[in-house]
Amino acid sequence: MRLLEYQAKELFRQHGIPVPPSVLVHSEADLSGLPYPLVLKAQVLTGGRGKAGAIKVVDDFTAAASTYQNLLGMKVKNEGVHAVLAEQKQGVLQEYYLSLLIDKASAAPLFVASASGGMDIEEVSRGNPEKILKLTIDPLLGLQSFEIRKLAFFLGLPEKEFAPIMRALFEIYQAYDATLIEINPLARTESGLLALDAKLVLDDKARFRHEDLFTQLELGQNQNNDENLDPSQQLAKKWEITYVPLRGDLGLVSDGAGTGMLTLDLIEDSGGFAANFCELGGLANADRMQKSLELLALNARVKTVMVSLIGGLTRMDDMAEGIVAFVRKHPDRFKVAVRMCGTKAEEGRALLAEYGIESGEDLVMEVARAVQLAREAAE
Amino acid sequence: MTILIDQNTRVLVQGITGSVGAFQAKIMLDYGTNLVAGVTPGKGGTNFEGIPIFNDVEKAAAETAPNAAICFVPAKFARDAALEVIQAAIPLLVLTTEGVPEKDMLEILAYARLKGTCIVGPDTPGIISPGICKLGVHPAMMYQRGTVGLVSKSGALSYEVGRVMTEAGIGQTTVVGIGGGPIWGSRQAEIIEMFFADKETQAVVMLGEVGGRMELEAAEFIKANPEKPVVAMIVGRSAPEGAQMGHAGAIIEGHEGTAQGKIEALKAAGVHVATKPKEIPELLRKIGINA
Repeated sequence: MRLLEYQAKELFRQHGIPVPPSVLVHSEADLSGLPYPLVLKAQVLTGGRGKAGAIKVVDDFTAAASTYQNLLGMKVKNEGVHAVLAEQKQGVLQEYYLSLLIDKASAAPLFVASASGGMDIEEVSRGNPEKILKLTIDPLLGLQSFEIRKLAFFLGLPEKEFAPIMRALFEIYQAYDATLIEINPLARTESGLLALDAKLVLDDKARFRHEDLFTQLELGQNQNNDENLDPSQQLAKKWEITYVPLRGDLGLVSDGAGTGMLTLDLIEDSGGFAANFCELGGLANADRMQKSLELLALNARVKTVMVSLIGGLTRMDDMAEGIVAFVRKHPDRFKVAVRMCGTKAEEGRALLAEYGIESGEDLVMEVARAVQLAREAAE
Repeated sequence: MTILIDQNTRVLVQGITGSVGAFQAKIMLDYGTNLVAGVTPGKGGTNFEGIPIFNDVEKAAAETAPNAAICFVPAKFARDAALEVIQAAIPLLVLTTEGVPEKDMLEILAYARLKGTCIVGPDTPGIISPGICKLGVHPAMMYQRGTVGLVSKSGALSYEVGRVMTEAGIGQTTVVGIGGGPIWGSRQAEIIEMFFADKETQAVVMLGEVGGRMELEAAEFIKANPEKPVVAMIVGRSAPEGAQMGHAGAIIEGHEGTAQGKIEALKAAGVHVATKPKEIPELLRKIGINA
């Protein structure tokens, strides 16, 4: 789960990372009596706000009020703006970069630091890798003082001021299962170090440990999350089915991520265009099969569906039952091509045949048939 | 020979009385896997199909001397369960559990490195050496004994390719599902290294997908150690950037993790690359693999 900037900064504050004084603006009235100049920052989950014009400096109330309205009316890469953070403008002496993330390759927490902050760290990494220090932390030992000194010396920052910030990042990682905490820029100002921006991602898999926090954070960003989802995606989220919308007209359901991706590739290789990627997982039952077809049915463009089943852990008689249940409910909604093999495939295919649904064992042939059906439906 | 598991593998099952654990334990038992102990806290002293159940791993290990464990414990308790196996110095743990928090995985893997336990998974169908031992949930009908090592991120894809190979008359020494990531106890290159060291394995099939750079790592390893022929298939060639394709690790981020980049690196390392399962046995035959 990605946090909005103001949510991340609230956690920063609680853990002693200095951030500029700010208020979350709910109406124009909130903008009066603040210490101008201010920075008004659209609270969206999408990155690249600065370039999109979603961060503005304002010198007085009149400018702030009109800028506030403009920000609320804008979209940042399709994401609407529902909240604006007003922050006191800071005089910056130097900008640094500091992050802590879970490094998948080394399977360890990794600090990344640079005295060239404020810009895209990937670019610094490509152009001047010597300006970046990466420091792997032992997951069992945790953060040590010598590691903090190492980064402080590299950045040329006083250890006394830098140490609490680095310790706080590690605390946030440990306390909330953060997978990425990024401060860019971490600014040196007349009054000391300040986190001017904050990016924070929590591990959805660890939700069971932080149910209250997740719920509270979601309340603060509900509108940001759901407005970009189409009806199929919203339902998929509710039913916890993997569903990725694509641009084509051929619906796809599979009983595994790997075989789903393979089927998608084969569809494109055969000149077809998939409408989505949808995957049930290896332990699906008839109900999930039926539900996945219901999801696809919400997309009017889809007239043909390819069902790709390998039948390793799923039972094909169950899957056939799900397909039949859907077809009985919506007899003429789709033309269906079914690839079915593995556990109880004979029973499954016999059941499909009873309802006039054609199926085959060969994946490539069934994909070709589905692509052909979709082509005919388009004509 | 096989890798990781063979006829001498003695298995401890964590979560043997849970619905999935009990179901899969019975299938493993019927396959001929030597299950020596089950662990379910609170059920110590009872048994499962004649296999003694213990309250804790240490006692189970002391009394039944397992040399491998398989975990069917839910994500919430997986860290605790895995640490218990590692502390009991059991050298191999198959972690089938899906959805283990990333921080927990870091701690499990760090402790495993320290104590020398090999972790396969998480989110994995496990390992099968056809005809000899099954430590996981692989559907046995897809495989037969042979000379090709198979390593896959995706469970379903290993069934798919196993089936196509088996139908073409080419069997497997061992099939290893390493899991959907994004954090892996055993990586493709490590499993390939084991297959290269195994006398009976004549060639390796690697099934990969979009996301991360593990296949690039494998390509580097193969390039530096061109000991046996490798055939690979990378799925997700048509996956859009930024979408999570069913596996936690299957996501293209910027230029990182595209199928095309992986395919090019593998080809440059001398790996034969297939685009559909049926090409895999064909490529294997061309290399001279017939069984």
